[in-house]
Amino acid sequence: MNRFRRALKNKQLVIGSIIALVIVVLGIFGPAIFGDYAKQDLLRGHKPLGTSGAFFGTDALGRSLAARATFGIRISLLVAISVTGLAMVLGTIIGLIAGYVKGVIDGVISLLIDFIWGFPLILVAVLAAASIGSGLLPVIFAVGLVNTVAIARVVRGEVLGISEKDFVVAAKAGGYSTMRIITKHIAPNVIPVALVLSSYYVAVAIIAEAALSFVGLGAQPPLPSLGQMVSEGRNYMRLNHWESTIPGVIIFAMVLSVSLIGDGLRDLLDPRLRTALERARVK
Amino acid sequence: MDTPLLDIHDLSIGLRGDGVGYDIVRNVSMSLFPTEILAIVGESGCGKSLTALSVLALHASPPLHVTSGSIMYDGRDLTKVSASQMRALRGAEIAMVFQDPMSALDPMFTAGTLLTSAVQAHYKVRYDVAKNRALEALADAGIEDPRRRFAEYPFQLSGGMAQRVMIALALVNDPKILIADEPTTALDVTVQAQILDRLKQLKAERGMSIILITHNLGVVASVADRMVVMYAGEVVESGTVEEVLATPQHPYTNGLLGAVPRLNSDATLVPIMGRVPQPNDLPPGCSFADRCGRVLDVCRAERPQLAVRRNSEVRCYNPVG
Amino acid sequence: MRSLLKTVVLTLLLLLASSFAVFAGIRLSGGDVTAARLPASATAADRQLFRHQMGLDQPIFKQYSTYMGDLFRGDLGNSLTNNAKISALAVDKIKNSLILGATSMLLVFGIGIPLGMIASLKRNSWVDTGITSASVAGMAVPNFWLALIAIYLFSTRLGWLPSAGQGGIKYLVLPAFVLSAEGIALTVRMTRSAMLDNLNQDFVRTLRAAGLSERRIYFKHVLRNSMLPIISLAGLRVGQIVGYALVVETIFGWPGVGQILVNAVLRRDYPVVQFFALLLVLVVTLGNLAASIGYTLANPKLRK
Repeated sequence: MNRFRRALKNKQLVIGSIIALVIVVLGIFGPAIFGDYAKQDLLRGHKPLGTSGAFFGTDALGRSLAARATFGIRISLLVAISVTGLAMVLGTIIGLIAGYVKGVIDGVISLLIDFIWGFPLILVAVLAAASIGSGLLPVIFAVGLVNTVAIARVVRGEVLGISEKDFVVAAKAGGYSTMRIITKHIAPNVIPVALVLSSYYVAVAIIAEAALSFVGLGAQPPLPSLGQMVSEGRNYMRLNHWESTIPGVIIFAMVLSVSLIGDGLRDLLDPRLRTALERARVK
Repeated sequence: MDTPLLDIHDLSIGLRGDGVGYDIVRNVSMSLFPTEILAIVGESGCGKSLTALSVLALHASPPLHVTSGSIMYDGRDLTKVSASQMRALRGAEIAMVFQDPMSALDPMFTAGTLLTSAVQAHYKVRYDVAKNRALEALADAGIEDPRRRFAEYPFQLSGGMAQRVMIALALVNDPKILIADEPTTALDVTVQAQILDRLKQLKAERGMSIILITHNLGVVASVADRMVVMYAGEVVESGTVEEVLATPQHPYTNGLLGAVPRLNSDATLVPIMGRVPQPNDLPPGCSFADRCGRVLDVCRAERPQLAVRRNSEVRCYNPVG
Repeated sequence: MRSLLKTVVLTLLLLLASSFAVFAGIRLSGGDVTAARLPASATAADRQLFRHQMGLDQPIFKQYSTYMGDLFRGDLGNSLTNNAKISALAVDKIKNSLILGATSMLLVFGIGIPLGMIASLKRNSWVDTGITSASVAGMAVPNFWLALIAIYLFSTRLGWLPSAGQGGIKYLVLPAFVLSAEGIALTVRMTRSAMLDNLNQDFVRTLRAAGLSERRIYFKHVLRNSMLPIISLAGLRVGQIVGYALVVETIFGWPGVGQILVNAVLRRDYPVVQFFALLLVLVVTLGNLAASIGYTLANPKLRK
């Protein structure tokens, strides 16, 4: 209860959560409310915001911007959240193993982690697209790989620090099994960090999906995506800038809300974890 | 007696800001005379370090501010001098040695760089002149091979060696007063003894005046001339070390001595019961009243004043002995 | 120092491995590499013949060693779409990308570090709040969208700067700023927190007690300590700039490596993809390697 009240007092967390809630509601119910995202009407193209029958107006082919944008939100969130969620689980496990086992296994894992971590998400996605072809698949691969590595890296560092702590040393001396020490003593201390970090990496994933779709390597037509909408709309900036502005604002709001939630959660953590996070957020 | 070199009078230091305001150090007075070691004794949180830091205006300000009193040195009130005058005093007239030598030295620079910059902060001298002074200071601090240590980084030094480097940093500009804030707490017992010997020699050879802050009465007994006992932000007793340790008058001092283990006595250790009151929640009377076995009605009603009794000063209505 | 040597050797090995992975990934990418060159009416036999002539039916290790051999002789192959020699294209593209990338790196640290220092000096003032809020926003705006806003504002509306193309410094301004925006924001944030963190360290009090001036403590001691994390940041930033350049060069029509790589991926022009992909992998790896060498040299504890 106390924790909940503290969370309500945290402005960043509250504002971020409200924006996120609006976006999630749009992503879930929008496509049903605004109708078919692929329905064209070439005679009703380039309609501005507030046009009756098409809430956000229409694009060059007369398709409803509201329907397309809300479907784009759905895709973006599905990719970003599910893949980052998976990355969080995988990354935490890898980090726990590397940090706890140490030795050669850790040496190999951390070498790979550090190497891959140096690569920017977008380059990895473009390389993946070059290999398996354009679409959401390379985006998913890249987000999964880079985020797993990023989370594993921080978790490993935390585990290294914690396993030197007296309570872990005492548990070892007391003859507890490795499994029990990891699950009962170490994991509870690193999982909050992994969670907060993941909220930042959701933001990174949203940006990467949008950027890839923007240059044409992400979601392929007729599947709508926000980045692709911004890209198509930019050819008609003078005619009807909403075609580009609406998806752009939505991407901005999504990224901002996730970052605010991350910052808010970070402030609820204890100070020692905050510095670990600050160090991890260099990308 | 001589005139004091440093005279702290009625000093109060308070926390101010965001709707809070209370004093952490209250009406502290003490004098440091030429060529003596004055010990300030008390538990952690009693305000002894804060008092010492405020001499060189090194307390975190804001939120801490000197709210009353004066610190007189060389005809000037140190609570009122400008920032640049204070900077000129630091290290050159009054120097300070801190508790944890490993974190108190900048890890990115060698001991030599730290020492020479300290010299050049006060005197416009060439580097080789500064370097010579630095090497002398290292030797004065009891370091056997100054040239080697000069070139080493803090992480290459042991705790005791790092503390000697810090003492050298304090000595390098030949100050009149040295304030040592728990200089041996973080060190091994053998190293502790060497450092304390060095402080005694500095007093004897250079005629230095030293304020030694400690919670260790054994240290006080072996090196100090006079002592001040602090409790909950105020001075409760002060006098010569012999006097105070042999015939403590304040019940708190008495309790402290009762809590020190002795080899040559069968007496059981007597802990002081209860807790130190928080500075934002002090009782109206004596701050030790709740823990005191000799408490009177007046102790709870009115704060006692520091009064001369025998050769010491005591803040108590019902002193021991 | 020994650990540094180990890092260098291991990094070079990983570079070799990753270059092979990228090479193999591109080469093994199914049959449609022929689509870039052959008409839709080409038969399966035609496609097979083409693959044979290009050497695509050989074992992948053989292909890799052949390719690397050619690469070191300066033969980068030809583009499938316009038959141009890749070696002829490469020099210009690399030069253009270097100009854009180096300018962005300069902006990131040339602006980010001083702003972060100012924010830490003026802590909790309106200056600090302004700088900090701007950096939060800077990290939340995706740079392709920032690019569109910048183009709309500075070229469509105000007409001050060209929206795309290359030639003269005017063309560099928008892409370089867009490419560096996020990095500036991050550098401000990191510098500010590192400076504040170090200002609270015990050693600062020791230096004050020794009579050093606030300016000297701040600009020599605190700054030097705070630059350690910034060195790591710089290595990662090389990678990030390479990544974002793929997008930013495409938007601004900046004829660099990023633009040609994205276009080649879209057209499935695999020889072009291959060379520039390997080049970028090399650049990112070397950037990170340089940062870890720099970090070791700057940190007395690791240097000794």
